[in-house]
This record gives sequence, C-alpha cells and structure tokens, in this order.
Amino acid sequence: MTDATYKKFVKRWEEVTDLPTQTFGPATPYYKKFVARLKVMPWGILVLGSIVVVVGLYVLLGTAITVIVSILQKGF
Amino acid sequence: MMQTIAIAGILFARNVAGILMRPYETYRRIVTKGSVWELGYIGALVALYLATATIVKNPYFRPFFLTRQYVVLLSATGCTFCVVVGLYAIIGRIFKSSGTLRALVMGWGYSLVPTLTWFWITSLLYIILPPPRTTGVLGIAFSVVYLIFSAVVLFWKIILAYLTIRFALRFDFKKIVATFAVAIPILGIYSVAMYRLGIFKIPFI
Repeated sequence: MTDATYKKFVKRWEEVTDLPTQTFGPATPYYKKFVARLKVMPWGILVLGSIVVVVGLYVLLGTAITVIVSILQKGF
Repeated sequence: MMQTIAIAGILFARNVAGILMRPYETYRRIVTKGSVWELGYIGALVALYLATATIVKNPYFRPFFLTRQYVVLLSATGCTFCVVVGLYAIIGRIFKSSGTLRALVMGWGYSLVPTLTWFWITSLLYIILPPPRTTGVLGIAFSVVYLIFSAVVLFWKIILAYLTIRFALRFDFKKIVATFAVAIPILGIYSVAMYRLGIFKIPFI
C-alpha cells in the first residue's frame, strides 16, 4: 500500500470510527440491516413506508382523507 | 469573497444531492466540514419561498400589507430556526453532549431542505389545484398521491433531524430518543403559539 493510499485509509477509518457504533443487544443485526437501507438511496423504503401509512389512513378514515389534504394544502 | 460564495454554492449543490442519495455519509461531512456560507443558499431559498407564499396567499396586490406580512413570516422563520437550534443545544448540554453549536446549526440548516421542498410543492399545487378536495375518484386519487408525497418528505425530514442530533450532539440512539421526547412537546407548544398568533398554520421547522 502506498503512503498516500494508507494516509487516505487512516483518515477514512478515523472518520468512520469517530462515533461509537449503535448496538441493540440481540436485535443489532436486524437494526443494521434496516439502517443500511436508509443510509444509501433511502427512497425505496421511504415510498413503501409512506404507501403503507396512507393506505392505512384510507382504510381508517375513508374519504375523510380529502379533508386532511385540504387542510394541509391551505397550511403553507 | 466572490470565490468563497461560489465555492459554497457548489458545495451546497453537492450536499443537497448527497442528502438525497447518501444522507448518512453526507451529513457526517456537512457537520464536520461544512461551511456556514452554505447556509446562505438555504436562507436565500427560504426568503424566496416566503416571498412567493406571501403573494400566493394574498390575492390583492397591496405593497404595504404584503411587505408587512413578508417581514413577519421571515422574522418568525428565523426565530423558529434559533428556537429549535437553541433548544437542541440546551438539551445537548443537559445530556452532556460533546458536540458544538456550529455543527448543530449546519445540521439543522440542511434539514430545512425537505421542509422547503414540501412548502414549495404545496404552494405550487395550491395554485394549480386549489383546495378543497372533492370526495370523487379524482379527489381521492390526488389526496392519496399528495399524502404519500407528504409522508415521504416527513420521513426524510425525520432522518435528517436524527442525523443532526447523532453527528452534531454525538448522541447514541437512547439519547436521541430522549432528546426528541423532550424537544417535540416543547416544539408542539411553540407551533400552537405560532398558530394562535396567526403566523404559521403548519410550522416552518
């Protein structure tokens, strides 16, 4: 490994290990799997989660979701 | 001076692309290496948005009234930013954070990007498809799409708020949850106060 590459590696290593990693006991592998999806291009999981939430709202409130939207649209 | 502003502009564009594609890595860079000059671009976009919102919401062109309204909104937005950053700084001190105020300002500044996105698109939709929504098929279809968009932006905002606390205050998950548990009720009361004062219906946080 050249000197420059090694220095770059050390710098990157220090940057990554600057904060201690999160642990959740036995749930740590699942947490890491989930969070990895949010760290890079999280849009897929965000859109999926949002669809689930909105479908849930629609099932719960029915056509009353249009009232929520009207309030939100007037809310800016 | 001009060179600094131009470089900050390039870095700002790169960081906005970064928080879209790789929020975690980008936030670490923003908090540790970001320049305060970059926040000028966010400030300019907020000022531009508030000017647009003032005109859109007031159908009559009365310069004095519009200027007054604009100044009130701009001051309230600036005040809200200071309140949120100040609140997190105080909570950070209580929970013995080793972070800095500068890092908090940078992190929270960039977390205004999703806020701005939501407000800009909502304003544009207000012009194109003004409320109220009907309970017909088209009304419900639009409502579903709009709510999905709003939820996506909200989740994005939550991720950036989380990363702000994580990197700026250097907290672990438990402390981040505790920080939000303290901050959210206070910001809720603040938002209600803003609503009662007739400044924001939905707070610009």
